[in-house]
Order: sequence, then structure tokens, then C-alpha cells
Amino acid sequence: MDRPHSETLSILARSGGEALKAFGETLLPQLGDIDVQKSQTGLVMLPMRDTAQGTAFHLGEVLVSEAQIKHGDLQGYGMRKGRDLEAAMAMALVDLALQGDVAAAACNAFVADQKDIQDVEDRATLCKVEATRVDMETF
Amino acid sequence: MAYVATRGGERAIEQSERLFRSAMGEITEDRVAEIKKAMPYLIDRVMGEASLYDEDLAALALAQTGGELFEAVLVLRAWRTTQPRLHVAEPIGQDELFTHRRISAAFKDIPGGQVLGPTLDYSHRVLATEVLNGSTYAPEKVDAADKPSPAYQPSVAVWQAENDLLDLPERDETRPEDIPDVTREPLLFPSKRAHTLQSLARAETGGALALGYAAMRGYGQAHPTVNELRLAEAEITVTHPKGTQFSAGRVKVSQAEVVSKKGEKLELGFAATMGWNEVKCISAATLDLNSKGAEKGSATEEEFYLYHTEGVESSGFCIHFKLPHYVTFQSSLDAMRNAKAKKSPKPEPAE
Repeated sequence: MDRPHSETLSILARSGGEALKAFGETLLPQLGDIDVQKSQTGLVMLPMRDTAQGTAFHLGEVLVSEAQIKHGDLQGYGMRKGRDLEAAMAMALVDLALQGDVAAAACNAFVADQKDIQDVEDRATLCKVEATRVDMETF
Repeated sequence: MAYVATRGGERAIEQSERLFRSAMGEITEDRVAEIKKAMPYLIDRVMGEASLYDEDLAALALAQTGGELFEAVLVLRAWRTTQPRLHVAEPIGQDELFTHRRISAAFKDIPGGQVLGPTLDYSHRVLATEVLNGSTYAPEKVDAADKPSPAYQPSVAVWQAENDLLDLPERDETRPEDIPDVTREPLLFPSKRAHTLQSLARAETGGALALGYAAMRGYGQAHPTVNELRLAEAEITVTHPKGTQFSAGRVKVSQAEVVSKKGEKLELGFAATMGWNEVKCISAATLDLNSKGAEKGSATEEEFYLYHTEGVESSGFCIHFKLPHYVTFQSSLDAMRNAKAKKSPKPEPAE
């Protein structure tokens, strides 16, 4: 399945850390020599748009983990909320593998599985939210 | 100028810190995980006030400070300064929020409807004392609906504008990296709106409530009605080196609009924060609503409320009064004694 790069990255960023790390390990022997360019924690400032006057302002910063790796001309990148550097590195490995067409079927299957898990989680949350819907009537 | 030297100060300080920390005992990963799991709303409050979103770090800060909130926020803000800023995300909009709770006290039939979400608003506030006698308090499960609530809900303000009830503002197209930032620039008055809203987002909850409540009780120009209140999750949209935009995950955010009923059109006050903290958002939005034309020195005047709701500065100023002021105090006492001596009648010289 040809999934947009944006969607793949978003799914990987939200995947369970342990599952992602375990899958990333399986890619390492297939990817060969990798140059690690970044592996760090840091902050992402999150702006929001105010609805009263339309102003964009900063809500605050989110702690993230970032990994950037290189293999030939290809760059793999991972950024995830939280301080799990290994999970960010695993995300970068999957991104690199997909770009280099290495273990593409396995990577796509992993991403599809994670997407299913996330969809089920979201649906379960929203079904609980729906249970709190109120309809009001004026008498 | 005089100085007071303290003997044994270093030892006493060391022991006093040990005495404070001994009350909490050992801090383990399990304890931090339990705090994170058991107290999500406290974690949210601390993250919002610290301006740093990470539930593990917030739980650790609470464990390490024994729940002394000002200290927890201070240690988080201090830790934040050790980290590089990697990115500024794309601004989040109201209609892009994965919504858990959305209510309006002004209009019952808002497009998308109203979902109460997680709240104790309508519950009996009864303490489960049976837990202290060995029983387990197990919350009843939610009877989930068959169909999900829409994840994304339209903005009530847009609907009001379509009905000619308010004028929609022009969209601010400032590039994310150019948005004014109070953590890197001084807060000057009159404040830039971006500074005002950022300061309110990181304001101390009790301070925002105290001043917001003053406005609600009548010490302000406008009585608020909640136009829209949301508890939601926002995507952190970042950019891959190739230019692809993606979400690095979701964070909890709260947002409140309050509305004033004066004039020909509705006027909105707005506030938002990281984490779920609706009392702070409603209070802060009330301050925003009342800010225009507020009298200098009043609770709803921008300079007054922004300075006095900054928790790290205000608590820091408060606790500094415990530090030795012996020389200045002694000097004041001398002045008092001199004044008293000058006032008292001089005895008549003996004949």
C-alpha cells in the first residue's frame, strides 16, 4: 500500500515504543552501515491560534526525542513525544528502510498494524466520549 | 553597609534539605509511574504552569518535591533550560483538536453538539472513606456508545460569525518561529497579545482563579458566559528534513472562550493551556475579556494580572522574605527609635 510519507511518519511517532524498538532491531542487519547524525532529546514549541483575535501564540514546549541517520544519499528521521531515544532511532530506521526500499513489505505491514491499533484506540475513546453527549431542550 | 555572618550555616542547610527529603523517602521509577497514573490532573496542572509537556518529568518533579507545587514547577522550568529547542510546531487551530469534552453555556444547540467528556461537574462530592478501611474503590465502567463522537468539532465562533453575532478576527499569519516568546523576550507593556496569551497559558492556576474570580464577582467590566470550553488533544506538527510535515504525537490541551453580552455584537475572551485545566482557562479567559479599558492597578488590568499570576516569580518573591533581612530590619528599627526619641519631650534641665 502506498501510504503518504506524512501519514507513515505520524503513525510511527505514535506507535508503542517497545513494538517500534523491537521492529527497528530487525532492520539493522539489512540496512548496513549507518551514519548517526542526531540522537538527542529537546523541545518543540507548540503554538496555538486564538479564536478571539486570531493571534498565534505559544502554549508551551513539548519534550521530544529526535534521531537522524544517513545511509548514502538517504536520510532517515524520527521525532517522537517523550524521552525515548531508542524509539526515535527505531522510527528513523523504519523511515530510512522505506526510502531505500529495504524490507518494504515488512515495514508497511508494521505501519499498517500500528495504524489499526491506533484507530481502535481512538474509536474506543470516542465511543466513550459519545456516551457523554447531551441533548438539551428548552421548555 | 553591614553584613551578618552565620556560623554553621552550611551544615544546617545540608541537614535541612535532608530533613525535607527524608519525609518522602526513596524515589523510585515505580513511584513516579504511580504518580503519573494516579494523578493525571495534577500532572497536567504542573506541566501547564511549567510550560513543559512531559508526564514522566512532571511526575518526577512532584515526587521529588513532595507535591510542593511551586517547587515542582520551578524544578521543571529549570530543567527545561538544559534542553535545546529543536523545532517550532505548526500552530494548532480549534477545529483540529481531537476533542474529549466540548460544552457551551451560551448556546445549547451548537453545531456538533455538546459532549460532557470526563468531568466531576455533575457528581456528588463524597469521599470514599471505605478505602481507608481496606475496601477497594473501583470506578464503574463507561457504557460506551455504539458509534464514536466526531473526533474534530467545528468552532462555535465561526458559527456565531455566520449568524452575524460576532466578527471573526483576521488570521495571524506570523511564521511559527517569529511568534513572540516570553521565554526569550522581556514582557513589556502594553503587552503583545502573543505574550499575554502565552503568559496566561503558563500562569499559576490559583493566581489566575483569584483575579479571574474578582472579575466574575463584579470587580471587572464584563460578566463571563462560557461560549465554548474544550478539553482535547492536539497534534504536534513538525517537519521532516525532506520537508514532509507529520505529527510527532499528541498532547492534552484545554481551551476556553468566554463571551460578553455588551454592545451590538458578542465579544470574546480567550485562554488556553497545555494539559487539562479548565478552571485556569475560564479564569484566564475572563481576565482577557475584561482587560480592555481596565483601570490601572485593577485586578483585570493586563500588567497587574500578568505580573501577579506568574507563579515562579511570585512564589520566589514571597519566599525571599524568609531570608535574613537582619541589617535592613535593624536599620528600620534604628530609624523608628530615633523618631520616637525625637517625639518624646526632653526633660527640663534641673535648676
